[in-house]
Amino acid sequence: MKRRRLLETLAVALVLIGAAFATFVQVSHSARGGEVAPERMLPPPPRPALAIPKPRVLAYSGAEARWSSVLRSVSARAAPRPGAPVAAELPSMTPEGTGNVVLVLRAAVAANGTVWSYVRLPSLPNNTEAWVPRRALGPTNIVDTHLVVDRAKLRATLYRRGRVIFSADIGIGTTRWPTPAGEFYVRDRLAGFNDPFYGPVAFGTSARSQVLTDWPAGGYIGIHGTDRPGLLPGRVSHGCIRMRNADILNLAKVLPIGTPLTIR
Amino acid sequence: MSRDEPSPALELTELDAGGALAEAFSRTRTRAGLLRAGAGVGALLAALGAAEPADAFAASDVDLLNFALTLEYLQAAFYTEAEQVGALRGRARRAARVLGAVERAHVAALRKALGKAAVGRPRFNFQGTTENEQKFLKTAVAFEDLAVAAYKGQAPMIKSDALLAAAISIHSVEARHAAWMRHLFGITPAATAFDQAESRPHIERIVQSTHFVAAQPKTTGKGAPRYTG
Repeated sequence: MKRRRLLETLAVALVLIGAAFATFVQVSHSARGGEVAPERMLPPPPRPALAIPKPRVLAYSGAEARWSSVLRSVSARAAPRPGAPVAAELPSMTPEGTGNVVLVLRAAVAANGTVWSYVRLPSLPNNTEAWVPRRALGPTNIVDTHLVVDRAKLRATLYRRGRVIFSADIGIGTTRWPTPAGEFYVRDRLAGFNDPFYGPVAFGTSARSQVLTDWPAGGYIGIHGTDRPGLLPGRVSHGCIRMRNADILNLAKVLPIGTPLTIR
Repeated sequence: MSRDEPSPALELTELDAGGALAEAFSRTRTRAGLLRAGAGVGALLAALGAAEPADAFAASDVDLLNFALTLEYLQAAFYTEAEQVGALRGRARRAARVLGAVERAHVAALRKALGKAAVGRPRFNFQGTTENEQKFLKTAVAFEDLAVAAYKGQAPMIKSDALLAAAISIHSVEARHAAWMRHLFGITPAATAFDQAESRPHIERIVQSTHFVAAQPKTTGKGAPRYTG
């Protein structure tokens, strides 16, 4: 009797050991990536429809300039505080009826937390720079272009990130009505005005004639086409920068508003 | 409001308003717009050899992509402006720099997928919230929570699995942003067990009630020049 119980116990133990071994073999097989019934596999995740590029922080090459629109007329001051002397009044509109813009050079935070922007102004004397409250300006825009007018070579050259992308012969002011030298910027663009004297496109700049101060609208210096291309290159204008019409049309394709303008 | 409370101290309705965002939203919802959008995306994806067959995208998915793009425009412009104004310091400044990069990447991806069907980029004026650390963080919390709720709310409506996968990959990133901004602002980063989705009409109502959208500056004209000549 004892012997029979012993055999039964032994048989049960063998069955249990066998079952445990079979389970172990199955689990270890699965863990090694063995075959699994297709109906038990999870589907792979779908491939996303968008390829999101690697995030890139803003990088500045030093060739960028910032400009902002003038949201409301404001006094530009000699220092970043409300009581500082007024350097110039800055209107929100240009004489051409476009929104005024300024070149933003840097910012400062006043003791009370107000942010002030140091801007280049479209005012006489030329090259005036002063402070305006940041809140008077619109969002910041960045350009990476720079227009250089060489009065000696009678040549205008547009750079993008330091590389020449446009160059053309120009006409500039006569000795009596000279084109002023200095650091300025492009602030508006007119087209469709149907005046052959100015050609098909005219850009307004922040530069002003120092002699034609009683000129209508203040004597601002423009960059425009001409109906007398035979005079170019030359010292022929009242201070504006003239180009052949084909050249001004090409320039219009690549010259953004806010581009710094150096006249030397 | 205690800083330990889970919800942000700010809703967009407290902040600002405009028209371009609302316009952008409304443009994505016209039937004609949807049809044009669908055709544009289809052609673009086909040209790019995208994983998803172009004709597999429903017009409603294109509409949702534009909805997402509009929110991404808002965020990308906010952080970019904060960095460019230059008034932030320390951790807030770093956050603006990093989050700006990520949100711009989202914009780039969505614009690339939408091609000509992409809604235009509105112009924003953030009313000084990019010039002060506390205002910046408060606004950032509101933006990120809004984005998380918006993606969550739209996910069930996306028809394409591939688009859903992309949306979820952005959604989790926005959630990380929300936690980061909440931490910097001093409120609990993850205070609830379940996040609530927000419906699209609710998101649109919030956005339409804000004032962050600015008019495009008018720098071109047709008037006769009066330059010196």
